Amino acid sequence: MATPDSAEVVVIGSGICGALAARKLALRGVPVLILEAGPRIDRGRIVAAFRNSPRKGDWMSPYPYSPWAMQPQYKPKDNGYLIQAGPYPYPAEYIRVVGGTTWHWAAQAWRLVPNDVRIKSLYGVGVDWPMTYEELDPWYQEAEEILGVAGADNTGSPRKHPFPLPPVADPWSMIRFRERLAPVYPVVANTVARNSRSYDGRPACVGNNSCQPICPVNAQYLGINAVEAAEAAGVKVRADAVVYRIEADAKGRIAAVHYYDPDKTSHRVTARQFILAANGIESPKLLLMSTSSKYPNGIANSSGMVGRHLMDHPSSSLTFYADEELWLGRGPQSPSSINTMRDGAFRSQHAAYRLDFTNISQVLSVTEALIAEGVYGPEFEKQLRWRAARQCNVKNVLEVLPNPDNRITLSSEKDALGIPKPVAHYSIDDYTRRGAERSKQDFAKIAELMGGTGLRYSPDGQFANNQHITGTLRMGDDPAKFVTDGFGRAHDHENLYMCGTGVMPTAATMNSTLTAVALALRTADHMVPAKSSGADNGGAT
Amino acid sequence: MNAPACKSLVAGLAVLLLGLQTCAAAAANSAGAAEIQRGQYVATASDCVACHTGPGAKPYAGGLATMTPIGPVVSTNITPSKTDGIGNYTEQQFSRAVRKGIRADGSHLYPVMPYTEYSQLTDADVQALYAYFMHGVQPVASKPPATRLPFPFNLRILMAGWNLLFLNRHPFQPDPAQSAEWNRGAYLVEGPAHCGTCHTPRNLLMASKSSDALAGGVVGTWFAPNITPDANSGIGNWSQQDIVDYLRSGRAPGKAQAAGPMAEAIDYSLRHLTPADLRAMAVYLKTVPARHDAADTRPVDAWGSAYADLASLRGKPLPKHADDMTGPQLYDAYCASCHQDQGQGSFDGGLPPLFHNTATGRFNTDNLVMVILDGVRWHTDGSGTRMPGFSGELTDRQIATLGTYVTQHFGNPAAKVTLTQVATARAGGAPSNLILLARILLAIVLVIIAAIIVWVVLAVVRRRRRAADAPAGR
Repeated sequence: MATPDSAEVVVIGSGICGALAARKLALRGVPVLILEAGPRIDRGRIVAAFRNSPRKGDWMSPYPYSPWAMQPQYKPKDNGYLIQAGPYPYPAEYIRVVGGTTWHWAAQAWRLVPNDVRIKSLYGVGVDWPMTYEELDPWYQEAEEILGVAGADNTGSPRKHPFPLPPVADPWSMIRFRERLAPVYPVVANTVARNSRSYDGRPACVGNNSCQPICPVNAQYLGINAVEAAEAAGVKVRADAVVYRIEADAKGRIAAVHYYDPDKTSHRVTARQFILAANGIESPKLLLMSTSSKYPNGIANSSGMVGRHLMDHPSSSLTFYADEELWLGRGPQSPSSINTMRDGAFRSQHAAYRLDFTNISQVLSVTEALIAEGVYGPEFEKQLRWRAARQCNVKNVLEVLPNPDNRITLSSEKDALGIPKPVAHYSIDDYTRRGAERSKQDFAKIAELMGGTGLRYSPDGQFANNQHITGTLRMGDDPAKFVTDGFGRAHDHENLYMCGTGVMPTAATMNSTLTAVALALRTADHMVPAKSSGADNGGAT
Repeated sequence: MNAPACKSLVAGLAVLLLGLQTCAAAAANSAGAAEIQRGQYVATASDCVACHTGPGAKPYAGGLATMTPIGPVVSTNITPSKTDGIGNYTEQQFSRAVRKGIRADGSHLYPVMPYTEYSQLTDADVQALYAYFMHGVQPVASKPPATRLPFPFNLRILMAGWNLLFLNRHPFQPDPAQSAEWNRGAYLVEGPAHCGTCHTPRNLLMASKSSDALAGGVVGTWFAPNITPDANSGIGNWSQQDIVDYLRSGRAPGKAQAAGPMAEAIDYSLRHLTPADLRAMAVYLKTVPARHDAADTRPVDAWGSAYADLASLRGKPLPKHADDMTGPQLYDAYCASCHQDQGQGSFDGGLPPLFHNTATGRFNTDNLVMVILDGVRWHTDGSGTRMPGFSGELTDRQIATLGTYVTQHFGNPAAKVTLTQVATARAGGAPSNLILLARILLAIVLVIIAAIIVWVVLAVVRRRRRAADAPAGR
């Protein structure tokens, strides 16, 4: 039996974008209800589960698995949730719990570079964004102040106001990279939502080096912080509420959403406005599922663009031994980058990229390699120490261009609640592959400058994925080509908005979270403009 | 001498005179500036700002509610605003308020304001303090809400009787037998820094028990420990440098770190004192009469050792219900990321070890509970949240389990954390019986007075009647 229910605004998804949009609306006096498919979880128990996990390298292993809110999992084996249609695999990961996927992230909170939003005009590739970088600046600033972003002054992204926090202290390994690469490359401290000192009641990073799967001390801003801030502002959060249908009325306005609880009892919730913020795969999935005689292609899909233009950041990499002890593993996992190839005239020819240094402890991977090589006894210990001290890795983070054939569709296979599983159609084009090829010059030069030996390039044509799911709800002015307008409002439905990385028209070369949060704040402001300026600005609660 | 020459001489003299006058004024101003600066130091040492600044308010504008057993007492605006502050106070009125607890309008302050300790302030320091509050503080025109205590404590006149019993009447008198440094320390500890306000236990009428000076008291939900030089119960095993380090940074490495109200006292006040003054306080504290509690069989910071119970953790799933988590599981989940697997902290002590730490070695575990609930937060020194609080993440049961595990292995094994203790601390402290007690006492007094009146009236009536009944000619 359905329970009638209503709110002024219903937000589908409690990730960092949905929660911060909800918070902003609540601060402006709007009653908001968030519906989250997954359960509420507790940091301490995730920390304990991680410590207890025999699969430390599997960042999903400490997170609970809920049959009613399936999420893609690949270890110890693929759970078959995200179905691969090829030609290239797209093994995206995300977490369906209260707080969403930023429970585990590296907290890289980069801005775009200004030219990223004009690559069609400047370089003849991709699409332009329906806004300028300058228009984004205040929203970036607001997002950075909420998240407590720490950054250096040489990021390449202009800003009107300073970062709320100075950069996080460099680990030893990154000090050495910076010093030794200085003749050729500026090594830049990553812009991160990680406390370099105490901020907003959260402590400074103490360097546990487990940013993924979990920051154990709350020094890194997570989606759950956003949820708690939203709740403090008056937002109601309903966990274990799996939305399976968005319902439009005869006039084309969204009237209600329907969700299942874990027992598959259906509930209907009405509202005046709706925000879809269920991530770049689940959001289009839900739109595509919500078919009716009036909307045979699903909600917000008169253009047929929902789920298309799926992008992410493929990475290839080089692993090698430096000629000195670097001891990766102290401090945060992702401390530094080289930004020199994020923009340039070359973008008309090949993908731009950021070069990213890992600082993840090498003990686990070296141990696995030594066991595989059959090394044991005293030699094992000697080798483990030598390699763990010297092994390092640099990867590219490559731009992918929007391609309508890269897309999310619905499978005929169903999950436990009878909801279709998503299908990923993905490929990596020559533009991106040429970028990867170009970056090998940088890899070689970096290894040379570090006195590298034992160079191991990732195999040609093989790319790791970075879980920056973009493009599937892309924003733009033309209703025939874009799902939402420049403020994230569905072209087809005046009271349906979309937040999250899916609305980004291009992926550029930076981790997508900060841009998505900035856009979400901008969307919330567009929905309910501030009565007086500055009423809810300045993020820190 | 011709007229113009004469004129110019007069003009010259005038200029000279004017110059001298200006010099004198400048000298007075600079003396004033020095006085104001000295007053500011006295105000800092006295930590006026901590209580007289409400949440989000300008310094000294008042509005902070301090919870007492008889209800919240709201601090007043002590900026020189003539409408809302103390701008109209004469120096004498100011002195009477600070040292005698009597406001300009003649009404009594509640001894939440530590005028009992400030009564020790020297005339010179009060004078400087007055100069600072009149000329060094920005006036703020805002009136915090008035303090409204329940009957009978709304009768401020009651405090006159209390003062009669408990108020010291004389400023600090140096002891000529002691060094100047000791005397300076004694003055600071007993007077402006008002250490005894928290660290000296109070009697039934909320007055400091001077016989037990600095032997440990209760501050709301926190415990202000024994800071006498007893080796086990107090800080007898702390070096002078340990004390100075602690007062300056909130850390005595390998011994203790400040939290709660003490962190606040250091943050706003003590860390701003000169090294010489901090040393003087340490010198004096080492000489006050030691107070020993027989239960303390070794120094508070000498308990415990590194310990881990990995065998009970690894390979075993967490219980379904959070309340069923074991001590080792809770420690692993919520503490080990900073305090490390065996409670050893970080190599440089920046993340403190939990053994050899007063936080876990004390028989009274109130502060341990409060730190787990609220964390350790500094407001002005830039360090901010030194430890996050867990009131939102941990249940009462979890904190009781965790606290007892922590004291058992890293601290004093006899110390326990109970479920009721955590619930009480979370609720902001146990309700006080003081109001009820006062009302009962008052009722008894009233009944006795009424009885006396009745008895007197009856006696008079009886006597009159007897007189009327007497034979006329007698």
